[in-house]
Amino acid sequence: MASREIIRYDNSPLLRLAKILTPIFLAVYLVWTLLPLFIMVMASMKDLLDAFDTPDAGDWGGVAMFFDFTPTLKHYYVLFAENNFGVYLFNSLVASLGSALVAVTLGSMAAYSLARMEFRGKKDLLFWIISTRMAPMVAVTVPLYAIFRSLDLVGTLPGLILAFTTFNLPFAIWILKGFFENVPYAIEEAAQVDGCTRFQAFLTIVPLVAPGVGAFLVLCILFAWNDFLFATIIGSGGAKTLPAATKELVQPQNIDWGKIMAAGVITTAPMIPLGLLVRKYLVAGLTMGAVRE
Amino acid sequence: MVDVKIENVYKYYGSIDGVAAVHDLNMDIKNGEFVAILGPSGCGKSSTMRMISGLEHISAGTISFGGNIVNNLAPKDRDIAMVFENYALYPHKTVFDNVANPLKLAKVSSPEITERVKRATQLLEIDHLLDRRPQELSGGQKQRVAIGRAIVRQPQVFLFDEPIAHLDAKLRARMRSELKRLQVDLGVTSLYVTHDQLEALSMADRVAVMHEGILQQYDTPQAIYEKPANAWVATFVGEPQMSLIECVIRQKGSGVVLDFEGHEIAVGAKVGKVLAASKEREVLAGFRPNHVAINTRKTAGSIPGIIYARQLLGGEILAEAQVNNTMIRARVNTDFSLQLGDKCSVSLSKEDLNVFSADTGVAIY
Ligand SMILES: Nc1ncnc2c1ncn2[C@@H]1O[C@H](COP(=O)(O)OP(=O)(O)O)[C@@H](O)[C@H]1O
Ligand SMILES: [Mg+2]
Repeated sequence: MASREIIRYDNSPLLRLAKILTPIFLAVYLVWTLLPLFIMVMASMKDLLDAFDTPDAGDWGGVAMFFDFTPTLKHYYVLFAENNFGVYLFNSLVASLGSALVAVTLGSMAAYSLARMEFRGKKDLLFWIISTRMAPMVAVTVPLYAIFRSLDLVGTLPGLILAFTTFNLPFAIWILKGFFENVPYAIEEAAQVDGCTRFQAFLTIVPLVAPGVGAFLVLCILFAWNDFLFATIIGSGGAKTLPAATKELVQPQNIDWGKIMAAGVITTAPMIPLGLLVRKYLVAGLTMGAVRE
Repeated sequence: MVDVKIENVYKYYGSIDGVAAVHDLNMDIKNGEFVAILGPSGCGKSSTMRMISGLEHISAGTISFGGNIVNNLAPKDRDIAMVFENYALYPHKTVFDNVANPLKLAKVSSPEITERVKRATQLLEIDHLLDRRPQELSGGQKQRVAIGRAIVRQPQVFLFDEPIAHLDAKLRARMRSELKRLQVDLGVTSLYVTHDQLEALSMADRVAVMHEGILQQYDTPQAIYEKPANAWVATFVGEPQMSLIECVIRQKGSGVVLDFEGHEIAVGAKVGKVLAASKEREVLAGFRPNHVAINTRKTAGSIPGIIYARQLLGGEILAEAQVNNTMIRARVNTDFSLQLGDKCSVSLSKEDLNVFSADTGVAIY
């Protein structure tokens, strides 16, 4: 494999400017992305009174006020003890993992055949598959609801898994097709000549796409985990997930910010280690440079 | 180890009304024979080989191994070993596992696998690379691994699809003799596809020359070189190329001569007899560069021309003379003094020539 070092030949003023601006930009970006998370975690551990204790605008010395509180886990306790968040966490996990598994399993089979076979109308078929992702989801929610209603799938976990799969599957087919296309077909041909059946030949290349497929599985979990629209409409009632449940904490007469922040932390927390775990594969997998011979 | 018979085989990609990638191919490969399919890129060599291996559907016709038709057998049931142009090694497996793969699939016992992989890799001098992965190998080493994977078992047929096309010239020369040696030692019926005539002529027992999906000639390398079946084969095989001259057969006395734009080319008695008997009048006379002389001496029957190009080919020079609009090539000594644009005279051999019909290109002599 070629070395990936970047060679810079010129030293123009523009380049020097870029050298100064890059860290500044990164710092601003870091604050921009991390500060909301930080505030969320802090606020989830504050009493209602402490949470609204903010300094006046322009009073930078008053920033210390943010940190002047007694941490408490009572919001978390209440969420699990009284608001059934244990059940919602379970629903979220089952629905997102379930739909990701279904999407990746069906998706890799479809992607494999689309990558390896030529047939009339293939381009149109591919476009149709991806076009289902292009339509705004709101547009399909009502008919989908009607269909799910008549099939008694509304408010059930299988129904929610199916709903999430409607947006995960087309995406899975497209991305996974790219993974398979990156593996030269000659490898499978060599396997067949070596004595593999057609299916065994497919299995020999599975290790080559596994990192990418694994990474994509995680992406599908994330998409489903973060979904709000289908979760509230299809999952409402029996299969409430964390985002839907969090929304319900907003009552007209009483917005309980402490609990909402705690719910936000509960929703965000499991995805962070997952993201870190697959970070390496996500990049390697989605760029898929490593499988080339 | 079997004989292979290809009968009336066609290959169409897509619609059957399109052009056939392989057109009515008939070939038989004897048990233990080394046959090369030679032809320019896109002439249907790989298609033929892939139909034999079972990787490609046979549009029409039959292929049989030892009398058994294999048309409907999957590659794994044909007992073949194939070396691919781009090696097609398993990138995630070590050299050992790459070579061992066919044996593992054949459920050979583990100690025997180790033993046979060792033997095959020692033969190919890659036994020190067993733990490496394909990315960590050079082109030549990858190619050896691919060959190792083929020879680790004794298949019925070896198939090589331009296996050394991507190696550098020196390594290619060495691999030619090694592959030939290997084939002779193993005695396995082999089919070798290449666009390089040197490979085909130097290694094969018989060469099948293909052009645009059609088999042009199937014969020993010597016959292909000395008695090409048609004008296309004549110019495709042989380096530097044979010169083709448009002539008319003319009666002269009791025999015939070739009339080349008013110049009279005398031919030997044997050639003359064949030409006199033929019904053709307009013909193409072909001369290999070693049967042509270019110099300053005007002799009887020499043709005046102008030096158009000269190339040093190591121990000799390829001189190209222009006579009106025809180019005639000759091998000359390195002390050849004529320069571009100089006048010269071209003398053609009386006996060593090939004659083709100008109309169909088919060989007359
Ligand atoms: N999979 C394919 N689909 C369509 N046409 C093909 C395919 N493979 C080969 N061809 C066509 O068939 C002809 C012969 O190809 P091939 O057998 O690969 O030639 P060669 O190996 O002699 O270069 C070419 O014109 C090529 O374009
Ligand atoms: Mg080819």
